[in-house]
Formats: sequence, C-alpha cells, structure tokens
Amino acid sequence: MLKKYVPKPGRREYVTFLLLVVEIILFGILAPNFLTVDNLIRVIQNNAEIAMVSIGMTIVMLLGGIDLSVGSVMGVIAIVIGYMLQAEVNIFLIILAAIVIGVGVGFLNGFLIARFDIPDMIVTIATMNIWKAVIFALLGGKWLTGLNPGYAVITRAKVLGIPLLLILIIIIYAGFYYFLMYRRFGRHIYATGCNPQAANLSGINVKRVKLVSYCISGGIAAIAAMLYIARMGSVEMTIGSDLAIACIAAVTIGGTGAKGNGKRGSVIGTLAGVLFIAFLKNGIVILGIPSLLENCFIGLLIVLSVLFDALTAGKGVAQ
Amino acid sequence: MKKIAFSIAKSRTKFLLLLFVVEMVVLSLISPYFFSINNLVQVTQFGAALTLLSLGESLVMIAGRDGIDISVGSAMSLSGVLFGLAVMNGCSIFTATVITLIGGILLGTVNGLLVAAAKVPALIATLGTQYIYGSLALYLTGGIPISGFPDSFKALSLESTFGIPNQILFVVVPVTFVVFILVYKMKFGRRVYLLGTNPEAAKYTGIREKQIRMCVYMLAGLLAAVSAIINNSWLMTARADAGSGMEMQAITVAVLGGIGVAGGVGHLGGVLIGVIIITMMNSGLQIANVNSIWQLATLGFILIIAIILNHMMERFVANVEKSRK
Repeated sequence: MLKKYVPKPGRREYVTFLLLVVEIILFGILAPNFLTVDNLIRVIQNNAEIAMVSIGMTIVMLLGGIDLSVGSVMGVIAIVIGYMLQAEVNIFLIILAAIVIGVGVGFLNGFLIARFDIPDMIVTIATMNIWKAVIFALLGGKWLTGLNPGYAVITRAKVLGIPLLLILIIIIYAGFYYFLMYRRFGRHIYATGCNPQAANLSGINVKRVKLVSYCISGGIAAIAAMLYIARMGSVEMTIGSDLAIACIAAVTIGGTGAKGNGKRGSVIGTLAGVLFIAFLKNGIVILGIPSLLENCFIGLLIVLSVLFDALTAGKGVAQ
Repeated sequence: MKKIAFSIAKSRTKFLLLLFVVEMVVLSLISPYFFSINNLVQVTQFGAALTLLSLGESLVMIAGRDGIDISVGSAMSLSGVLFGLAVMNGCSIFTATVITLIGGILLGTVNGLLVAAAKVPALIATLGTQYIYGSLALYLTGGIPISGFPDSFKALSLESTFGIPNQILFVVVPVTFVVFILVYKMKFGRRVYLLGTNPEAAKYTGIREKQIRMCVYMLAGLLAAVSAIINNSWLMTARADAGSGMEMQAITVAVLGGIGVAGGVGHLGGVLIGVIIITMMNSGLQIANVNSIWQLATLGFILIIAIILNHMMERFVANVEKSRK
C-alpha cells in the first residue's frame, strides 16, 4: 500500500552501477594489483572529498544550476582551518567556524543567484575566481604543513576491517537520499528543478529553495575541507582546482542532468558516478596510460553520459 | 539630471563609454605613463586574442537556448598546439594556418553537433569538450611548449605598421568587420538573433535551427583558431595552456558588453567596448604591479557588478517609462 509513495532510484542509476561493475571486472582482469583491499581502500580515501562535495553538487544540479566555486571554497576553508590549528584553537570551535564559513559562502552564491536572477554559472565562475584570489592572499605563496587535527583518526580507523571513512560516506549518502526523497524540502528541490514556474504556482518558495540548497552545498564543502586537512596534513596553492569539474563529472555520469532535468537522478547515482571516476583514475595509473590524458577520459565520459541522457530523454516521455 | 541618467541607463553603449572614461581617469591617476597615445595604441595588442574569442562567445550566447561555450579557451590552446606541431613537422606557415583553421572549425563542429544536433545542455557539453581539448593539447606537447618558429613569423604579432600592432591592423580589424557584416547586414545574423529571442517563432518562420546553431559554434571554433595563431606569433611559442582562463574572460566581456545570457539580447559593439575596458584594466593593473590572480578576481567582481547593474538599470528604465505613461 505504502509502496506506491516510495520513490525508487530510476533505471538510469542502474546503468551507472552496471558500468561500475563492468569497469571493476575489466580493470581486475587487466591489472592484477587493482582488486586488492589496500588499493580499494586507498581509492576511497583519496576520493573522500569528491564523494562529499558531489552531494552538494547533485542538489544544486537537480535545481538546474551548477556550482563551479566549490573547489576554491573548500580551499579557503581548509586554509582557515589550517591557521586555526596552528594557533591551537579548540577543535570544536574550528569545526563550527568551518561550517559557518561554508554556509556563509554558499549563502552569498545563493543570494546573488536567487535575488538577482543571475545564471548560476556566471555567479559561481565569478565567485570561484574571487575565492582563488583569497586563497592566494591568505597563503602568500607558502605552504601550510604539519597539520594534524584531532579528528584525523576517522580517516584511518577501521571497524571490522572496513575503513570507517567508507562507512561514514555510505551513512551520509543514505541520509541525503532519505532527505531528498522523503522529506518535504527534498521534494521541493526536485519540484523546483523539474519546473520552477509550476513549483512557484503550487506554493513553493523557489527562491528560498535555491538559497538553502547553495547553503547546503557550501556547508558540505566545509566538511570536505576538514577531510582534506585530515588526509593531507598540508595546504598548498592549487588546492581544489580540479574539484568542481570532477564532481560535475561524477554527478552527470550518475544520471543527474543539468538544466531542469529534475525528473532524473539521485544521490545514489552520484555515489556510483563518484566510484566510477575514482576507479577509472586509479586504473589509468595502474595500467600505465599517460596521466596527461586522464582529463581527456573524464571529459569524454561527461560528454558520452550527457549524450546518452539526451538521446534517451525523448523516449518514454511524450514531449 | 534624471534625464541624463535615464539616457545612460537605456543605452548600453553610453553606459560603457562612461565606464571607460572613469577607468581612464583612475588608471592615469595611478600611473602617469598610462595616458599616452603611444601606450594606448600598444596596449590593444594584449586584447587581440580576447576580441576574437569574445565575438565567438557572444554569438553563441545570442543564439540562445542557454548557449555558452566554455571550451573556447581549450580550443584556442589545442589549435595553437596543432599549428606548432604542423610547423615543426615541416609545413610552411601558410599550410599550418590552413590546417589550424580547419582544426578550429572541427573543434567547433564537435560542440555544435553535441548542442545543436543531440540537444545536450551547452554548459555540460562544452565543459566536457573543454576537458578533452585541454588534455589533448597537454598530451600532444607532453607539457613542453613548442618553440622554434621561423623568424619571419614575428611579423604577424610582434611588429607594427604605422604604429599600430600588425595583428590588430591586419587580422582583428578585418575579421571583426567581416563578423559585423555577417551578423548585422546579412540574413544569418537576423536568424541568430531570432533564434535567441524566440525559438518557436524562428521554427515557424522556417529557419533551420540546427544549421544556424551549428554555424555559430563552428564560427566560435574558427575564431578561437585565429586567435591561437595570433597568440603563437606573439609569444613565438605554442603552449598547451595558452588559452586557459580565456573562456572566463570572454564570458565576462560578453556579459559586460550587454549580451543577455538568455539569448537574443545585446550588440557586438558593446562587446568591443567591453574588450577595450577589460584590456585597459589588465594592463593598468600590470603597470601597477598587481599579481595576475587579482586580475581574475577583479574580473569576477566586475562580472557580478555588471549583472547587478543590468538588473537595476532594467528596473530603472521600466519605472521611468511607467511614470511617463
């Protein structure tokens, strides 16, 4: 009886999971040391930030927007955390400050986009460049090193042999899946992405939905910054420069299309997309393909998956 | 006073000219050397590549359907690398130029096929191709800039005729002229604008949307290739990162010049003034010894402020017109 009301992941997500399985089998055959526990754990550790930020990117892209500034935002927050760690501020204060900054920065993006009706891409390109300059100003050309926050244990600890980080990521994804699929605000996000006018007429405050979504995206960038510090222990100038594009790739491969394609996609698909790209990058290195071509493969995957979406979009749904 | 404000707010060109004058005053206050005719003419060479790129970008944006081309910068890098490789492999400058221009058109065609034929959102499609082109450029050079062009190649961008840099006089001005004729004196341009303002109406008028949209993206690719050749001659090297960040500048210039992101709005003349403003600002900041990362940040600020101003001016004009009635 209740089953009718339960939104399920669409067929598109299964396609991504299928691809993921095929990829893992393929690399497993081609590269003997690909399917080792150590390697798999390393891949997950190295992509924890991408996994986190992709959630925010999924929400923003479900709305038909895009957030290109996440990488530089993560960089700014990581630097602030770094300086606070060096000044030996209380760890809870640091976490609080990081999240406040993240949400604040997201609010700025959301405010400009919702209040002035500026296209998402223009605003976030602009803020990306501004935050890049801020990173430059804060670091002044030097590196922050030797950072070891108290919570760094999380990234290394294991429960029953499974890395704690992986369990955390799965829990967070499950939480956001529940939030997006079953909570009122989550449904508002899908409705707004599907058809903003209709959403507005049915009483959803579209501007507020956008604003809050960008705040969530900023807050998640703050969490990613904390993970980054815990993993790397240092901050350098180029931090986060490839983050946004990697997340966009993960989200599009996972089936969430840009521009009001709110009917499709969920964080489950995004998780599959994140893992797909993570294993792809790892496999490229193990197989000895020149790493200069890595971005070419990712770009090709983005293009192919949007092409797939575009070609299948007309089918089944009368347009 | 209100009358003057109204006329400035209503005409983008007047507003940009005002901005230009303000900028000149500020820059000449910062550095006394800036405001000499010689310097002003020489500064234009910094904007040569940007002018061509932003003309292509603007056309893509005018043609509507959320048109945008993020790959212009990478397309410029890749076609520049193509040119360098062709010359290194024994082609003459002329043959290399032909190869590069065809290459540029092909890169644009890929974008066009994705956006016009397959109806993929332009933003994501060109984001993907940006990655592909940039990575290919890096792979083809192995990360090492290609140098060793013949000395005669300097004539294109490093020498001046009548005190005007050659690439401006012999490439940018004629190309801009041709683009303006194409857009404002021929059917093609009217069709592009109609596609942007009302795609439905365009369809019923019998305009072949796919064809026109393909042409626009191909033109953007072609212009990127031309700017790549100018840039190669200017630096006398072909670098795989020559065009990185250029797409951001091109979009900024287009928006500053009054091109509407939704399509169909804006005039290329405004874009030209936008290019001059940005180029002057960049060189002014360079004279004042400001790091290039701040130039990008300033661009970011200008972009946001330009759009907010657009918003406010539209409202202002609407208010004044309402009160007149």
